[in-house]
Amino acid sequence: MKQINIIVLLLIGVVLASCESDFLNPTPSSGVTSESYYTTVGEVETAVINLYDGMQGTNSTDTDDNHAYMYEFYITEMRSDNTRTKSSEGEAAQFENYSIAATNGIVADYYASFYNIIFRANIVLDNLGVVEDASVAAAFEGEAKFVRANAYFNLVRLFGDIPLIDRVISPLETDVQFTRVVTSSVYDLIESDLNTAIASLDNSYKTRASKAAAQALLAKVYLTQGENYNLAQGLCEAVMGSGFSLESNFNDIFYDERNSEIIFAVGYASGLSSDSQNFSSEWMNAVGRTSGVNYVTTEAVTALNDLGGDRTAYSYRVDPFQPSQNQVVKYLPNGEDGGADGKTFENDATLAGNDWIVLRYADVLLMHVEAIMAGGTETSNSSALSSFQMVRDRAGLTDVVTNITKQELLDERRVELAFENQRFFDLVRFGVAQDVLSAFSTANGYTYAATDLLLPFPQREINLSNGVLTQNPGY
Amino acid sequence: MIHYIKNKRPIDTMLLMVSALLISISFWSCDPSLSTYEYDLAEANSLEDLTPPSANFSAAVSSTDHLTINFANLSSSATDYVWNFGDGNSSTSKDGQNTYPDLGTYTVTLTATDKLLASDTFSMDIEVVEPAAIIPVINEASFEDGALAGGTGDGRDSWRISGGTIFGITSGPTRTGSQAAKFEVAPENRVGYQSLTVSPNTDYVVTLYYTMKTSPAGGEVRLAILGNAISDASEAEAAIIASTTGNNQVDANEYIQLSLAFNSGDTSTIAIWFDSNDVAEARVDDVSIALAP
Repeated sequence: MKQINIIVLLLIGVVLASCESDFLNPTPSSGVTSESYYTTVGEVETAVINLYDGMQGTNSTDTDDNHAYMYEFYITEMRSDNTRTKSSEGEAAQFENYSIAATNGIVADYYASFYNIIFRANIVLDNLGVVEDASVAAAFEGEAKFVRANAYFNLVRLFGDIPLIDRVISPLETDVQFTRVVTSSVYDLIESDLNTAIASLDNSYKTRASKAAAQALLAKVYLTQGENYNLAQGLCEAVMGSGFSLESNFNDIFYDERNSEIIFAVGYASGLSSDSQNFSSEWMNAVGRTSGVNYVTTEAVTALNDLGGDRTAYSYRVDPFQPSQNQVVKYLPNGEDGGADGKTFENDATLAGNDWIVLRYADVLLMHVEAIMAGGTETSNSSALSSFQMVRDRAGLTDVVTNITKQELLDERRVELAFENQRFFDLVRFGVAQDVLSAFSTANGYTYAATDLLLPFPQREINLSNGVLTQNPGY
Repeated sequence: MIHYIKNKRPIDTMLLMVSALLISISFWSCDPSLSTYEYDLAEANSLEDLTPPSANFSAAVSSTDHLTINFANLSSSATDYVWNFGDGNSSTSKDGQNTYPDLGTYTVTLTATDKLLASDTFSMDIEVVEPAAIIPVINEASFEDGALAGGTGDGRDSWRISGGTIFGITSGPTRTGSQAAKFEVAPENRVGYQSLTVSPNTDYVVTLYYTMKTSPAGGEVRLAILGNAISDASEAEAAIIASTTGNNQVDANEYIQLSLAFNSGDTSTIAIWFDSNDVAEARVDDVSIALAP
């Protein structure tokens, strides 16, 4: 009997102990969870640094990894009349001939990457409460909101109406994940995020968010919507008064990193698979995973030869290994030219360290002209002329410009910012995408249709959404 | 020996199976029942078309010609298209493009059809209009400091022309702000010049405000429009397409409005020119340009 009593007592003790919630939900003392991690400024700062890790993407050939900015050229530049694949094969060739399938892995990669960046930004914004210093908290908030706005700006231009997620959501909130929101609401969030960033950031960084980067991006957001031209002009002028300047040698923009012309770039470091990029090698002749992508179209070669001035030689070259083809020479892997055959590199070209330039001063100067033109067809405004002349003077085109037409501005942007993922967005923003791309498509036997201006939502997302996420027309 | 037989048996089985397969293939390939399918009704066991076509399109003015409209086909689940552009033209291409004979409203209809001949129709009214006229922006229109990009400019940097002496800046009297343009008397011969981009064949009105000292009498302020941009002040007189003068000397502190209407003609670049006849000291403020009402 005594023994039974003891056993009962022990059992009651077990029952009592198990009633405490700590017993069932213990806080791990040796592991870290996302809910328990963020308790200090230093820990929130790791989340801020993590934003830029998301923008870098993962340098790998694994199709399950997010490649973020490394893959942007596929869905922007190669969808314009500037570049194509070298040998028109594989899913990469779907972009140049406008036959993109909803199952295209590169589109899915970019989509996942940029929503992942948004998730990382929302993590920062969710955990600002533990940062006691108000000015530090404001700076973190500004960085996260700049990064989030930049991601949404790219997604909304590429996909149209998109799901809008402005907080950390749980996997069960499928309505938020898959419900498409009209572009005007997406732009509302972008504008409010950028205004917060402008108010709380300074110009300390070039590979992290800065005030000037937020100003330049907001100017582009206004121009893209075709509204608030006066605000866009003011924002450009604010950047122009912030100490940036054009590099005297065009080539130095790309090989003298974080120079005076750079407003915002995604930083990469060579040799480390965690921090390097592979787009530089993909653009060479069978140096990366592909046989060569982002090769220059004859149309772009003609434009650069006619209008490029000093920029031409620093923009493309004849492929030394295959002289019938033309390669981009902005962003050569680690600055090496690849020797006599153009494909022999001292350092590992697939682990290149070239930063990817997102915003630079020449872009802002040309946006300044665009803002003054305000949707018109030409301008001879002296402020516009002076900005335009600065860009042309650097390229050695010093003849005095007295009037700028919309076409001249578009052409100048094409040769100044060639292969910098601007051309496709420029064509759409200038309202000429239909005219230019259908002519380009006809000349090359591609199958452009008006619906190709928006990318398909990845089929994987459509399937997961159980019918909530609707596909863009034409796919 | 037993061992040998055991090994041999599977080979025999395999031979048997292969020959059986070959025989069955030869039977199957001449199976007369295959041709019986052709007598089945086409509708038998067929499924309903769950994704009938849905027609939709958007329209945008071409970048090269305001009478040409580009139509973007946004239809889904369709393979064949018929466009009726509302002016008698039609097309069967996927995306539409049409050049209209004249301005006006047209009803554009797109019929989208799939291979089951299910179809859907979408119509939209298209307004073909003149492109909006440019309203130019005049830099340093009220001659204030720091009005140019980046807070630069001395209030008159936008008004300089080589071969001409730029006007002075006065801090009073002004009409608005803290500065106005100032024209001294002879032999100063000061001028102001700025070229602008305008829409061709469009009526505009340029307005400025001036005031003159009450003496000596005979003072005049001139406002002129040049039909093209010039590179030297000596070319100004020959380029004038419209001009007007003001000679009100009643009050040296009161600004008088001076307006000039003109048509831009076939040019897209004009220039504003103003000067005085150097008799009485004059001041000018607040230059503006607008479309003629």
